[in-house]
Amino acid sequence: MKIDRRSFLSLGIGAAAGTALTPIPWKMMDDSAIWTQNWWLTPVPAGGEVTYKTTACTLCPGGCGLRIRMVENRAIKVEGLEKHPVNDGGICPIGLSGIQLLYGGTRVKMPLKKVNGKFVKISWKDAISEIALKLKVLRDKGDAYKLSCLTGSDKDVTSLLLKRFINTIGSNNFFANTTISDSYEFVIKKVHNIEGSMSFDLENSDFILSFGSGIIDGFVSPLKMIRAHSRIKEQGGKIVQIEPRLSNTAAKADKWIPVNPGSEGMLALGLLHVIVKEKLYKSNIVSDNTSNFEKFRRLIIPNTTLNKAAETTGIDSKTIEKLGRGFANARKPVAIFGRGKGDSPIGFGEAGLVYILNYLTGNINKKGGLFITDNKKYINWPEIVKDEITNAGLDKSRMDGAGAGSFEDTKYITSRLADLMESKDQKSISALFIYNENPCYTLSDSKKINKAIEAVPLVVSFSSYLDETTAKADYILPNHTNLERLQDVPSVPSGITGGLVSLSKPVVKPMYDTKNTGDVIISLAKAMGGNIAESFAWSSFETCLKSTFKDQWNALDKDGFWFNPGKSTRQCPDLDFSKLLDINLSSIQPQGSKSKFPLVLIPKETMRISSGYIADPPFAVKVIPDTVLKNNDQVVEINPETAKKYGLHDTKYAILTTPFGEVKVKIHTYNGIMEGVIAMSKGLGHIGYDKFINGKGENFNRLIGPVEDPDSGLDIAWGIRAKLTRA
Amino acid sequence: MKKEHNHMKNKKFGMCIDLDKCTGCGSCMVACMSENNVPFREDETDKRKSITWITVYKITNNRPFPDTEVCYMPRPCMHCEGHDGHSPCVSVCPATATDYDMATGIVSQIYTRCFGCRYCMGACPYHARYFNWWDPVWPAEMEKYLSPDVSPRMRGVVEKCNFCYSRYQRALDKAYCEGRSDIEEDEYQTACTQGCPAGAITFGDLNNKSHAVYKLKKSPNAFRLLERLGTNPKVYYLSSKEWVRKAGDNYIKGENPKNIKKSHH
Amino acid sequence: MSKQEDKVKEISSGNLPDDEKNEAIGFGIIFFIIGIAASLIFGWIVFPKLLYSQKKQPVDFNHKLHMEFVDDGCESCHFFREDGSYSGVPKLAQCIDCHEEVQGEDPEEERFVEEYVAKGKEVPWLIYSKQPDCVFFSHAAHVKKGGMECKTCHGPIGESTTLRVYEENRVTGLSRDIWGKNISGLNKNTWDSMKMGDCADCHMEETGRKSSVQTEKDGCLVCHK
Repeated sequence: MKIDRRSFLSLGIGAAAGTALTPIPWKMMDDSAIWTQNWWLTPVPAGGEVTYKTTACTLCPGGCGLRIRMVENRAIKVEGLEKHPVNDGGICPIGLSGIQLLYGGTRVKMPLKKVNGKFVKISWKDAISEIALKLKVLRDKGDAYKLSCLTGSDKDVTSLLLKRFINTIGSNNFFANTTISDSYEFVIKKVHNIEGSMSFDLENSDFILSFGSGIIDGFVSPLKMIRAHSRIKEQGGKIVQIEPRLSNTAAKADKWIPVNPGSEGMLALGLLHVIVKEKLYKSNIVSDNTSNFEKFRRLIIPNTTLNKAAETTGIDSKTIEKLGRGFANARKPVAIFGRGKGDSPIGFGEAGLVYILNYLTGNINKKGGLFITDNKKYINWPEIVKDEITNAGLDKSRMDGAGAGSFEDTKYITSRLADLMESKDQKSISALFIYNENPCYTLSDSKKINKAIEAVPLVVSFSSYLDETTAKADYILPNHTNLERLQDVPSVPSGITGGLVSLSKPVVKPMYDTKNTGDVIISLAKAMGGNIAESFAWSSFETCLKSTFKDQWNALDKDGFWFNPGKSTRQCPDLDFSKLLDINLSSIQPQGSKSKFPLVLIPKETMRISSGYIADPPFAVKVIPDTVLKNNDQVVEINPETAKKYGLHDTKYAILTTPFGEVKVKIHTYNGIMEGVIAMSKGLGHIGYDKFINGKGENFNRLIGPVEDPDSGLDIAWGIRAKLTRA
Repeated sequence: MKKEHNHMKNKKFGMCIDLDKCTGCGSCMVACMSENNVPFREDETDKRKSITWITVYKITNNRPFPDTEVCYMPRPCMHCEGHDGHSPCVSVCPATATDYDMATGIVSQIYTRCFGCRYCMGACPYHARYFNWWDPVWPAEMEKYLSPDVSPRMRGVVEKCNFCYSRYQRALDKAYCEGRSDIEEDEYQTACTQGCPAGAITFGDLNNKSHAVYKLKKSPNAFRLLERLGTNPKVYYLSSKEWVRKAGDNYIKGENPKNIKKSHH
Repeated sequence: MSKQEDKVKEISSGNLPDDEKNEAIGFGIIFFIIGIAASLIFGWIVFPKLLYSQKKQPVDFNHKLHMEFVDDGCESCHFFREDGSYSGVPKLAQCIDCHEEVQGEDPEEERFVEEYVAKGKEVPWLIYSKQPDCVFFSHAAHVKKGGMECKTCHGPIGESTTLRVYEENRVTGLSRDIWGKNISGLNKNTWDSMKMGDCADCHMEETGRKSSVQTEKDGCLVCHK
């Protein structure tokens, strides 16, 4: 008997046969199938109870109400809050993507201090006492006025606390980002001599004349505007869009009238000529007594006005006449102004004339017209406590020249910041607080700002993210981010005629070692001691907010917003035409020499790209079309005829040059843009944040420089002369 | 119990998208991604590989300046009924991973069943199906926002819009717990419908006379995409512009869409 | 089994050359039988032990005892939320409603209060009936609409005095209850296994829906997500 190969063979066959009679093959087959289905790289989200929390969006000035879907303590999805006066359940791509800012990798996770060019951890206590000490030194040196602050808005409580703080220190040099709202306020102040802003009741109008306003492209309060647009479509209202490029708003308009970039003011003048000459204005609006109307009338009725308007705008005079008559004869016409999203102010020349267009049709404070809104001031804090240093500082005028002399009615000339930062003389900024703003990215000529900010000895950023400006800060005192923080969200007036405030409430516990900026300012004031601590008697930001809103707090807390329809419009006093007699329209022409830069570069603004201090989160980046961004290349839109003229081809590279810089771009030929004009999307080309956001495309603001409106001093830069050459 | 179920009338969920109102803002796309755990990558500019269950297409009339016109067209899955539920994708799936449900009219996609042959993608005339070329990655803390209602997909499978079926499931659960056997129109709405700031999307049961979509689909401005292929899609578009309506299908020169007999509504 | 063996014998002997046949057949049969026996023992007894890892529940819970104290049966703790969703295994907060302090004399309860209640730590219960992520199971549809008893799928767990060992499939990571205790896959009770086939069969029987075009059964998304 010997055990040989065959024995093993038999054993094997036996084992195989036996195995077939066991559950092993079938069970393993089933299990391996299930194994492949439960792929270990695919996360399995945990379940739990679903709840909804009400808050408000802080990602743009629009002020939408939000409803956050929670699973246990995780925020799952951002949805629009139904019945909210701004968005009524709707939501924009950026707001929706806000969840990715909360959980994303761009957060500043703890207070940081820059040591030898690198950020190192610092405790909140140390950071606050170090900054307080530096501010004390500044005060002792008599340089209190050199403390400056830049915020995204001057309407919310946190920004106003910052303003109060630097005032108490002894500085007038508070700055806020300037937008079309500044132009509205400026016009109202100039022509009526009252404080107020403007709101356009588009949804009730039957003829909307839009001077390049991106009604559905993110204008001021994007969701309110889009909803109004749908109502207009339902009710059969007419929209005429005046713009060099077929934007989404133009595409949806009943009529698109291409206009030479920057000549919109001249068109308004042409239309006024028609309306005044043909006496199409409402007779009860102006009489012989109306101050200086006769002078204004005589100024614009010569036919040369119309001819010049036609020549400058590129629109023939017949069309202007027809448009003027159509507008004036409509039942409820309204003319809206502010280009694109309304991120930049416009010159008084253009703004004033468009306002007059509205005024003469008698639509002021009328349904479907233009409302003069009260700049709702809900701040009624006690006066600040001043010491000698405070008084000395506040006696000085603003460094930027706003609020005095020829710029008496201007609040801030933010574009002068770069010069003030770089300057070595008395008028220079020694310490800068930055809240809800990213000047190194958003201000025109951003290259200059980036350099200038390095000259400021103390830069404190309150940003939640590592953005371009924050990267250059000396201290980062990170704020809670959206969905984590308590903050009031005042409504921007456009489209809303009532008083409206929403409340951003924390829906999740702070993920990292961050603090509400409001609380940080109060702590900082307390650390400063003396009159400064006295001026900030609140125990916390929450108590400050509650005491600020008093009776409205309950509604804010319960509903997420407080709304008082119709209560915030202002009486419209008589208009003084004298301010319009020497209107300056020349400054609107794009900068640069025509011979060197034959083209005009204009920004392209869309709902899908956030162009403010918040960068596009990954979801929003994902929906950017490949005709705007291809791989990491910025795409520039050009009329096929113009492209042919310069030997440029669709999808091929080119070099784009403006007086301020040069970038490599890709070409996209598009019939919906005027010849000689090129367009490039705003909001790309970040260098801060993380790889899902930065390195994509180019920053438009780097290619343009500030253009000061001679009347208001506001930076009205919009387009610029440019040239495209084959790469 | 059997009886009760058999008597429940078949639904046919569908959509009407008003292109006059659609602003091309892209909210529907992001609302969908956020609702349905759709991943993202560093570079999403290769749109053939970028997963967007609903995509907003931009179409133009191709006329030179200044007569150019542009229209945006959101395109979810069309949930084609074809004839008797033989939609193009369902017919070719060798894995029974995609299916047509006569009870809801929704074309399902079961990711764990799919083995990634991509026949369905080839068969779909609307490019509504997407392949997962990579395993999804949610960087930093982003896994925290994933919804437990929709299972995340692995590499190598096809995915597409399912009219936010998880919302239907939740709505039914609520109704059952309240002793109702069916839901109201507003109880089941897709994420894109809900998020659309323009109110351009209307969603409901195309078989139900009381639902808004029932009336809208009969509008003279209504059309469907590539109807002539016989796909019998359940997404209707409304446009007051003829060139847009005409762009919805292929017509020979001089052919007028109005005179063409359409397949059953 | 003998029939099968004969068949195998026939085949194996047929393959050998004539002169070695007898000896080889003898040896062959012995080894063959050893092979069969070993694999059968392995497959039916050892394999299930290897396939499933044994996990003890963090706290030994007495369902029977609790049932005596509650008014609303299973739903007292495993309740439906207002939105129609099902709460599943209770959270610590629910337990604390009664067990803020030790109630009885069971040392297990004392340990539970000490280790979890006092520390505010959720109990990491192992869920016997947990389905993979691709499954959408609606308790509302079955219990509220269909009027089914919990027992139909979960068995008489409500009558148990102790929690049995949780067995986890080492390959799939799923609970053994999905496939069922019986490794052969054969079932006696409705709760013996919770595979897709079981769901589909029951749906067919109870609802008669054949709305799926591909399978002529109930629609896929009824149970999938």
